[in-house]
Amino acid sequence: MKKVKVGFISFAHMHAASYLLGMLKRDDVEVVGIADEDAERVRPYSVDRGIRYYADYNELLAEELDAVVICSENSRHAEITKHAAAAGKHVLCEKPLGLSESEMLEMIQVCKDNGVQLMTAFPCRYITSVRQAKEAIDAGQIGDILAMKGTNRGSMPGGWFIEREKSGGGAVLDHTVHVMDLMHWFTGSKAEEVYAHAETLFNDTEIDDAGMVHVKFANGVVAVLDPSWSRNRTFPTWGDVTLEIIGTKGVLNIDSFAQKNDVYSDVTGKAAWSFWGDDMDEGLVNSFVESIRDGKPVEITGEDGYYSARVAIAAYESASTKRTVQLKAQG
Amino acid sequence: MNIAILGCGTMGMAYAHNLAKMPGVTVTGVVDLNAERAEQAAALTGAKAYTDVDSLLEQKDLETVAVCLPTYLHKPFVLKLAEKGLHVICEKPAALTLEDAQEMKAACEKHGVRLFIGHVVRFFPNYQDAYRKAHSGHIGTPKMAHFKRYGSYPQGMDLWYNDPGKSGGVIMDLMIHDIDFACWLFGEVESVYASIVKRAEPEMEYAQLTLHFKNSSIASLTGYWGYPGPFTTQFEISGDQGIIRFDSNQVQSLDIKRVSAEAGDGAAVQVPASPSLHDPYYKEVLHFIECIRDGSEPLVSIKDACYAVQIAQAAEQSAQTGQPVTIGGTVL
Repeated sequence: MKKVKVGFISFAHMHAASYLLGMLKRDDVEVVGIADEDAERVRPYSVDRGIRYYADYNELLAEELDAVVICSENSRHAEITKHAAAAGKHVLCEKPLGLSESEMLEMIQVCKDNGVQLMTAFPCRYITSVRQAKEAIDAGQIGDILAMKGTNRGSMPGGWFIEREKSGGGAVLDHTVHVMDLMHWFTGSKAEEVYAHAETLFNDTEIDDAGMVHVKFANGVVAVLDPSWSRNRTFPTWGDVTLEIIGTKGVLNIDSFAQKNDVYSDVTGKAAWSFWGDDMDEGLVNSFVESIRDGKPVEITGEDGYYSARVAIAAYESASTKRTVQLKAQG
Repeated sequence: MNIAILGCGTMGMAYAHNLAKMPGVTVTGVVDLNAERAEQAAALTGAKAYTDVDSLLEQKDLETVAVCLPTYLHKPFVLKLAEKGLHVICEKPAALTLEDAQEMKAACEKHGVRLFIGHVVRFFPNYQDAYRKAHSGHIGTPKMAHFKRYGSYPQGMDLWYNDPGKSGGVIMDLMIHDIDFACWLFGEVESVYASIVKRAEPEMEYAQLTLHFKNSSIASLTGYWGYPGPFTTQFEISGDQGIIRFDSNQVQSLDIKRVSAEAGDGAAVQVPASPSLHDPYYKEVLHFIECIRDGSEPLVSIKDACYAVQIAQAAEQSAQTGQPVTIGGTVL
């Protein structure tokens, strides 16, 4: 069996760890190496597992690889993706794809020019309830979609996430893109107007940690999304991914992490929800690997990443101008 | 306290049930255009049934009137009652416009009678508990909130809910509950943004709106007439040190399931099995009557009720123009 050879570039975003574990479960994947400027950060995943470590990702790109997984700080996605594409490697890039419309369009173009695929890491597409919701909607179970309300609330992650030059934005950028991608996927339409608030309400940080994003889609659907880092320390889990969809023939609700046990622990000193549902990151990794292995188009494209991230970018513009922001029909 | 009920629809009957068992209160008259409905309310309360308000107003000892009419009739009847020197307890929303609500307020002040608007959510124990917790530091400073209020499409006499010129629609009639509560919690509103979806077949009206407060807090509200599930209310208030959540579908303190329920038995009404000794309407009306008796200020003032109408109107305007609406000036 010919194995798909994969390299990992940067563990700045810790999703890299679970993507790696997903890859390592597969017989048809060989993880060739892990590049990260911080050797200590990746030691448990690289050297400790017998996976080669690279201080410079360009050296990893010089190896014989089919694809790379990029989990760097947001601000470096474009640079690394373009280098990887130039080296002929397919790319799975952590969200948000990029920090400006122009840099994302360039990433997409460079990948096209080099004949490599670009997949945006939106693991929420692989939540089992989300997949079944998509099937139910496509089967017409709730008729045509009229309106949606989503939440992707979380906890303030700290680190580079709250350093604007590295993250490009706070909660509104970090947490708008996942559910916005689901909204695009479910409606088959594109956001064309954005109205939003972005505030710093919960933490002593410079960057926004709260917001509310209203969207109007080209097909007339209206939606609102809460991307705030509003989960406090004693909340029983880190956050949520919920989506309520109002259709002409019914209402569909997704509560992605509802599959949990309630745990009351004197040891940890708080009540907690222990999630026992399927692993979405594994679903994402499997999809990427199978697309590369079989030469099929990736399920979530660079364009998908672009269409979601630009809503978040427009949300900041709207929050500062206090007006609605129109999005161009085509990138 | 001699009190009469004007309008014997759903709300009028709820008042009738509660007033009939309230100590120190006598229901002396009930009025409805429909004689049969007036008779039902009369049977419940022991009051005299009328089909026109002028006959009721001949009662010499009448002190207070509960106005449970369709919204568009609030103003003309409240003005009439005020002129007669009667205190008024009026169902929410106060009126369809801020101007009308303020006219009602001015008329009652002029004639020296009290005016109360039934923003009953402030008397719901779950909302009261949340308000007290949020305002006593249990979650730090409240910063964001979500409110949800979904139910079936309301069936009023002559389909008055279906006419936006009579009910004001889902924002003015239903979501005004949460608008008032959110303003109680967060204070003055800076701007409102809203979207509405409306369909005729099947009849539905759904809206989502965001209130941005002067203290930077954010509240997201959704309301739905024509929801295919059970009547549902939910809220979440998040502060910088905690979160308070409520879901009406998760507070069933009583649940009875019978092996062979007879067909149609209880199928027509949705009764959440979350029983209390008194319903919130009882507590609300009792509170208003106490305010009349001792001259004290109510939990929800006519000023609050006017403000809620103003915000609901702004939301409606935002939905129509597609632009956020800034709330001008301070509360009148």
